[in-house]
Amino acid sequence: MQQLQNTLVLALAILLISSCKPKDEDPIAPPPPTNEEEVITSVTVTFSDPEIMDDVFVFKSQDLDGDGGNPPVVTTVPLPAGRALNMLVTFQNESSTPAVDVTGEIEGEASAHQVFFSTGDADMSILYGDQDGDGLPLGLVNVAITGAASSGTLTLTLRHDPDKNGPGVANGDITSAGGVTDVEVFFPLVIE
Amino acid sequence: MLSVGPVLKYVLTLLILGSVVAVHAQGSPCDLMISGEVIDDHDRTPLSFAEIFMPELERGTISDEQGRFSLPGLCPGSYLFRVTHLGCEPVERRIVLNKDLVVDFRLEHHHEELRELEVIRSRPDENVGQAHSEVDAAELETHTGRSLAEVISNISGVTVLSSGPTIGKPVIHGLSGNRVLILNQGIRQEDQQWGTDHAPNLDPFTSDRITIVKGAASVQYGADAIGGVVITEPVELPRGPGVGGEIRTVGILNGRGGGASGMLHGGVGGLRGVGWRIQGSARQLGDAASPDYILSNTGLREAGGSASVGVNRHWGSASLYYSWFGRELGVVRAAHIGNLTDLQNAISSGVPWYVAPFGYQIEPPRQAVQHHLFKAETRYRISDRNMLLLTYGYQADDRQEYDNRRGGRSERPSLDLFLVSHTADVVLNHWLGPHVHGKLGVSGVEQANFNIPGTGIRPLIPNYAERSGGIFLLEHFPFGERLELEAGARLEATELRVGRYDQNNVFVTPEHDFVNHALSVGGNWSLRDSLFLRANISSAFRPPHVSELYSEGLHHGSAAIELGDDALPSERSMKATLDLDGNWCKGRLRTAITLYHDRIADFIMLRPDGVQLTIRGAFPVFRYVATEVRLQGVDLMAEYRISGPLSWRVRYSMVRGRDLSANEWLFQLPSDRLENSLVLARERIGVWRKLEFSITSQVVARQVRIPLDLDFMDPPPGYHLLGASITMALPLGNNELRIGISGTNLLDQAYRDYMDRFRYYIDARGMDLSLWVRYAFGAHRTPRN
Repeated sequence: MQQLQNTLVLALAILLISSCKPKDEDPIAPPPPTNEEEVITSVTVTFSDPEIMDDVFVFKSQDLDGDGGNPPVVTTVPLPAGRALNMLVTFQNESSTPAVDVTGEIEGEASAHQVFFSTGDADMSILYGDQDGDGLPLGLVNVAITGAASSGTLTLTLRHDPDKNGPGVANGDITSAGGVTDVEVFFPLVIE
Repeated sequence: MLSVGPVLKYVLTLLILGSVVAVHAQGSPCDLMISGEVIDDHDRTPLSFAEIFMPELERGTISDEQGRFSLPGLCPGSYLFRVTHLGCEPVERRIVLNKDLVVDFRLEHHHEELRELEVIRSRPDENVGQAHSEVDAAELETHTGRSLAEVISNISGVTVLSSGPTIGKPVIHGLSGNRVLILNQGIRQEDQQWGTDHAPNLDPFTSDRITIVKGAASVQYGADAIGGVVITEPVELPRGPGVGGEIRTVGILNGRGGGASGMLHGGVGGLRGVGWRIQGSARQLGDAASPDYILSNTGLREAGGSASVGVNRHWGSASLYYSWFGRELGVVRAAHIGNLTDLQNAISSGVPWYVAPFGYQIEPPRQAVQHHLFKAETRYRISDRNMLLLTYGYQADDRQEYDNRRGGRSERPSLDLFLVSHTADVVLNHWLGPHVHGKLGVSGVEQANFNIPGTGIRPLIPNYAERSGGIFLLEHFPFGERLELEAGARLEATELRVGRYDQNNVFVTPEHDFVNHALSVGGNWSLRDSLFLRANISSAFRPPHVSELYSEGLHHGSAAIELGDDALPSERSMKATLDLDGNWCKGRLRTAITLYHDRIADFIMLRPDGVQLTIRGAFPVFRYVATEVRLQGVDLMAEYRISGPLSWRVRYSMVRGRDLSANEWLFQLPSDRLENSLVLARERIGVWRKLEFSITSQVVARQVRIPLDLDFMDPPPGYHLLGASITMALPLGNNELRIGISGTNLLDQAYRDYMDRFRYYIDARGMDLSLWVRYAFGAHRTPRN
């Protein structure tokens, strides 16, 4: 009897141990690589003079390795003084091939986004030239008016879910905008 | 590479052979008998149907109508007896048996007089020398509707690391997360404990008692038991016929929600020893509120269910258990930020940037988690003193986290993990004589973590497969009635295989092997019946988690870039605890003191490493490093019966932690806290029984011991909270209705806690009231005091 019971216990033990073999797939078999869909790697600001066709000035900030890794690579050119320039802001994901333009996604959710600018010591003012469905600014299409020769830093911030009705927010004041920063880039700005 | 499987099987075979040998080596005469009477100490009347239970042997009996009982067929030795009777405080007594004995157990009906008689000792066979505390059924009841972490934070030395009002992780002696092992129904809880915003996924409604071991306990429990162990114990299955059950409901004011749970259990007529239980629960809360604003998106929905069936006979017992627990919770919207500038704005504004009217909806950022546990367990009595325990556990943990995303992706999870774990334990409880007995065990864990594709985001932690196998021996050496020593050792090997894409998008499969050992020595010493000392020195270990090895990138919850280090070794801890429980002034004063000193080598922590500029803006960079730390602290509890029904209780705890390599204080350790309560207990007022009123004041000091230049904000000031509770019972024939009201933060203080990761963004929960009702009916009611 004792012998039989011990055999039973042994059988049960072996059953328990062997049942812990995974029946699932192997977790370290290569899964399909993840396509980072939502990443913004690049911000392009294009200044152009509506009256002089070839006068185009492009600022770009590009951070191909995403969060972490290397800092963004920033390229700018000096802007001419005393001019009214069209200022277009576009966002790209250049980590995927082919590169994806993300600007359309932001336009599609215009009421949940707003681009803010500050120009520091440089003599330049920026006016919103576009609106979301509620008549509040979005900031992808703007007008930049340059003043006297000066230099500073152009800070461009893309906020997700800002409170566009907050004090001053519709005029481009970020202070009480809230929301989550999706993009924040700094361009050295020279007006000459 | 060390392959664990064959080793495990080899050890198992040895163990089985060993047990067979042990069976045949049994030769001592086991024909002693203990008998006697159970009587009411108050009026000397015999108490019929009292249960006399011997926890070490897992056998017992019931007193007859004259209060008499007998337990024959016992071997010589020292045994613990636990005597329980409906309406009485259970009595535990250790008795040395070397001849037939007649013993009378006296039970006391009156709560206020009982402490003079109570022998302070609980289940000495477990955790000898280890400081431990329990939350019993009565106390669990008063926290109906609260999370596990909140329930156990009422024990001195235990605090909560929270992420807003919905997410809480237990902290024992300053350590939390992967350094606190949770044993749910006897199985290592395997969910995603690596994230500070991942609360343990278990239903507090399923336990009847929670034990907190406050020492390093890797010998018995395996890896991760560095800070301590939280053990949620199931309610024992009924053994006799009849059906009983209970219904619990709770309403919670702050969050305007509540919960309910129902349980039915019984025996099976004609099948002796067979019992079953089914249980289900649900809980829902809307947005919590601080005194000044709604904490938007802090709603919560939970549901759980479990079923078990078992048989308990002379040869041992066997049981099957299955539970499911699902939870969906909102993460404070205002705590989700984009970069360091956002964080600085949140801190300087002092109010959350997003506040919406109260609601029950749960929007991104949110978490949805499901946890399944299946357990099969058998205890086989090889002989009177030798028992073989086999336990198998299967767990599946399914977690999705959702963020506010662009382009309609908010309904797609940003993190989608599936974790499958198998655990198996074989333990032989063996008796080598009255002065040596203990446990020999082997255990194995096999685990696989899958990232479910489709998130469109690089996974925060990679896929991995982990296997570990351990063997341990833990022996008790009782010396007479007053002293019991314990010594133990464990050897464990862990193999971790990782599958991930590196920065250049090349698939790599690094492997890691860790071999660890743990030792423990301890003792329980009853200096006299009213003074009890526990001392223990033990070691524990924890192999690094895959998140510490391979984190790489932005952690949105903390607005920081976290970088892992794949060369990190295992953490090794050596902790000494000294625990003194005493009764003084004829039982009017009860004290419990715990002192501890913990030294951890290769303690893995995040250390700041500059600032990184990205297209999102600037982020602080933190790197996982291994350092040497020291934790020391004191937990104090005293309870003084001022007069008759009125008593005063005080709890105090402090912990100091130093990073010895950097010569710095440790980050995010709980500050000193002091709690004073006045408790008024009355046996009856009108139709009500067992009334207890209490008022509690809790003072939490400001944390001033912080590392320099690490935190973004100074620790919030200290605060004082006032709480109160009332509990009472109403007997309804054979059934019982229990009602309680409890209130926390009654003065509606606006405060922030240093142990809340969302202290940068929001105030803590304001005033809260809850009303609970518990109705127990039918057979098998757990005796309550």
